[in-house]
Amino acid sequence: MNFKFFSGKGGVGKTTMACATALNDSRNGLKTLIITTDPASNLADVFETEIGHKITPIAGENYLWAMEIDPDRATEEYRERIIGPMRAMMPESVIKVLEEQFNSPCTTEIASFDRFTDFMTGDSAAAEYDFDVIIFDTAPTGHTIRLLELPVDWSKHIEESAQGTGNTCIGPVASIQENKAKYDKATALLTDPQKTTFYFVLQPEETSILETRRSSAELMEIGVRNIKLIVNGLLPEEVCINDFFKSRYEMQQRHLSEIHTEFSFPIQAMYLRNREIKGITGLEHIIQGLFNENLTDSFKKLKGLSFDSFEHVTPDSDVIAKLITPDSGITKSIFFTGKGGVGKTVVSCATAVHLSNQGYKTLLLTTDPASHIGEVLGQHVDENIEKIHAFDNLFSVIIDQEKATEEYKARILQESEGKYSDDMLLAMKEELESPCTVEMAAFDKFMQYVESDAYDVVVFDTAPTGHTLRLLELPFDYSDQVGMMISTKDKKETELPESGLRLKRIMDRLKDKNQAVFAFVMYPESTPVVEAYRAMLDLKEAGIPTQFVVANQVLPPELCTNEFFMERRAMQENYLHEIRSRFNLPVAHLELFNQEIIGAEKLVAAGNILYTSDKEAFAASN
Amino acid sequence: MDTVITKKIEIEIFDPPMCCASGLCGPELDPELLAINDAVISIKKKYSDIASIQRYLLTSHSTTFMQTPAVFSKLQQEGTSALPITMVNGEIVAEKKYPSKQELEQLILSPSEVK
Repeated sequence: MNFKFFSGKGGVGKTTMACATALNDSRNGLKTLIITTDPASNLADVFETEIGHKITPIAGENYLWAMEIDPDRATEEYRERIIGPMRAMMPESVIKVLEEQFNSPCTTEIASFDRFTDFMTGDSAAAEYDFDVIIFDTAPTGHTIRLLELPVDWSKHIEESAQGTGNTCIGPVASIQENKAKYDKATALLTDPQKTTFYFVLQPEETSILETRRSSAELMEIGVRNIKLIVNGLLPEEVCINDFFKSRYEMQQRHLSEIHTEFSFPIQAMYLRNREIKGITGLEHIIQGLFNENLTDSFKKLKGLSFDSFEHVTPDSDVIAKLITPDSGITKSIFFTGKGGVGKTVVSCATAVHLSNQGYKTLLLTTDPASHIGEVLGQHVDENIEKIHAFDNLFSVIIDQEKATEEYKARILQESEGKYSDDMLLAMKEELESPCTVEMAAFDKFMQYVESDAYDVVVFDTAPTGHTLRLLELPFDYSDQVGMMISTKDKKETELPESGLRLKRIMDRLKDKNQAVFAFVMYPESTPVVEAYRAMLDLKEAGIPTQFVVANQVLPPELCTNEFFMERRAMQENYLHEIRSRFNLPVAHLELFNQEIIGAEKLVAAGNILYTSDKEAFAASN
Repeated sequence: MDTVITKKIEIEIFDPPMCCASGLCGPELDPELLAINDAVISIKKKYSDIASIQRYLLTSHSTTFMQTPAVFSKLQQEGTSALPITMVNGEIVAEKKYPSKQELEQLILSPSEVK
C-alpha cells in the first residue's frame, strides 16, 4: 500500500490536486481511498456528492472511495471510548466534569492523531478494503506539520514517560504504551520513500514559496525524502492580454523559475482555470494537465459561467473604517482570522499601517508559526517588539511558538529550582515535553498582548482558523478548569486566584465590542467562504461576535476585459453576493494587485482601498 | 530467619479531574499539585521497602474509582468535590485536600495513629 499526502497553505488548490490524483490512480486500476483530515473539508463539494465520516464509494468509479474525518466526531468517539463505560455507574456531576475535560485542545489533537495513524497501520475500517493507495488531503501546512511531527515526538514522549512518573497529559502511559508500536510504524511509513510521497501544492508567489521552503525543510528534518511540488494557479499566457495581467503573468513566471532554481524536487505546473473545479469532468480536466501534458502545452478552457448581467457588490469601507478606529483611551484589539493563505497577513499589515498613519500607536503581531510579516513589511521582525522604520507609529512582533515554549519551560523550571527535590525537577522537565506545553506557552504569550494597554491598537495576524479558535477558546476552557480546581478545594467563588481573575479580564475584553474586533478574511471562492462561515459560528459559540469580513484578491472588473477573466470575475461575483448574504456583516474588498503587496507604498494603498473606498489608490499602485 | 511478614503500607490517592497530575497544565502552576507530586516522588524513593504509593486519575483509572467502594460512594454522594481522597491500606485518611509530605511520612511511620 502506498500513501500520498497533499500539503500546502489553504486555498492553493490542495484538495483539487489530491482529488485529481486519486481519480487518476483509480482509473489506472489502483484501489484508491482519498481521506481528508481538514477540519473544514470540501471533498464533498469537489466530488459533488455526500461523503461524511465513513468510507464512501464514488458513484460511477470502480476503484475510488472517499472519506471525511470530522475532527469533532473523532474527538467524540475517543471520548465515548473512555467515558462510555462509566455512564451507568457514575453520578451525573462526575460525568459532566469528565466530559468538560475532553474539550481540552490536547484531546482534540490526540483524537485526530489517533485516527490518522490508524489508516497508515491498517487498524482502521480501511483494512478490509485492501487499498492500493491512500491519499490524504491534509489540513493546512502548520497543522499538517504538527500532525506529522507528532508520531516522532509522541513515541519519544511515551518512552520518557514510561520511565518517569507515569503521568502524561495524554492519559495513562499504559494505554498509550500499547499504541507506541502503532505510532512508530506510522513514522517509519512516513519516512519510507518507497511507500510515501508528499506533494506540496503552492502558488507562484513569494509567500507561497517561503511557506514551501519552511515546511519542506521541516519534513526533511523528520526524515521525509520523497517530496514533489505542484505549482498551481499559473495564468495562461494567451489570456493575459492587458498590462495588468501581463504584469502578473511575468511576476508568476519569475517565481516559477525561482522555484525551479531553488528546489531539487520534481515539479509540475498547473494552469489557473476559468472557473472552479467541480465534479468528475472538472477533475478529468486537471488530470490532463497533471499527468498527460507538458507545461508548454496550450491551455484548455472549461465551460465557463455566464457573465452578462451583474449587480456589483459595493464594499462598506466607511462603516468598517469606524469599526477599526479605537475610542480615545481604550486599546482596540483587531483580530484577522481565516484559513491560512487567504491573505490575513497582508490585510493585517495594511490595517496596521493604515491606523498608524492616522496617528494611532499600533502594534502588529502574529501568532502564526508560518508567518511572513517581516517579508511584507520589508523589515526583519522577531519575538522582540521593534519599531517599523518606514512608519511613524508602527511596531511589530512575532510570537514564535518554539521559542515561547522554550522560554516557558525554562521559566517554570527556574521558578521550581530549590523548592523541590531533584527527582521532582526531573519529572517536571519530562512533563514539560508534552504537546500541551506548546499550546500553553503560546497562549501564555498571547494573553500578555491582549492585556497590553501600551498601544492604541493591537492588530493580530492570527494563525489559521482551527488553531486560532483553539487559542481563543483556551481562556474559556481554562477558566472552567480553574473553576473546577476551586470547587474541588472547597473554596468560595470570591477567592478566585489571580490566574482566574486574569482570564476573566481577558474574556471580558475579547467580548467587548469596543475593545476587540474580530474579522474574517477570505477569497471570494467556495471553500474559503464556507470555512470562514463555519469558523465564525465557532467563534460565536465561544461568545465572540464577528464584526466584519474582508474579501481578498477581488478581480478589478474594469480590468477583466476578456472571456477568461470575465468568467472568473463572474465566479467571484457569485461569491461576493454569497458572502454578503451568508455573513450579513459589513464587507471590505481588497482588490488583486498586479504585483504582490509587499513594502510600504503598496501597504498604504491597500489600506486605503480597504477602508476609504478610494479608487485612485488602486490605480496609483498598479 | 525472619518469620515476621511485614505487610507494605499501601497509600492510594484518588485525584480530582484534571489535565495531568503534575500541576504543570494550566495558565498558572498549581502549588498544591506540585507539592503532592514532589511528596509522592520522594516518598516512593525513601520508603520503597515499606510503603507503596499510587495515584489515580478519573479519566485514566476510572475502574479503580468504581471498584473502590469507599471512594465510589463518596463520589456518588458528593460528586467530584469529595476529591482528592487519600487512602491508607484501604481506609480513607484524608479527603477534599492532599496530605502534606510530613503527613504522608507520619502515615507510613506510625500507621496506627491514623485518625
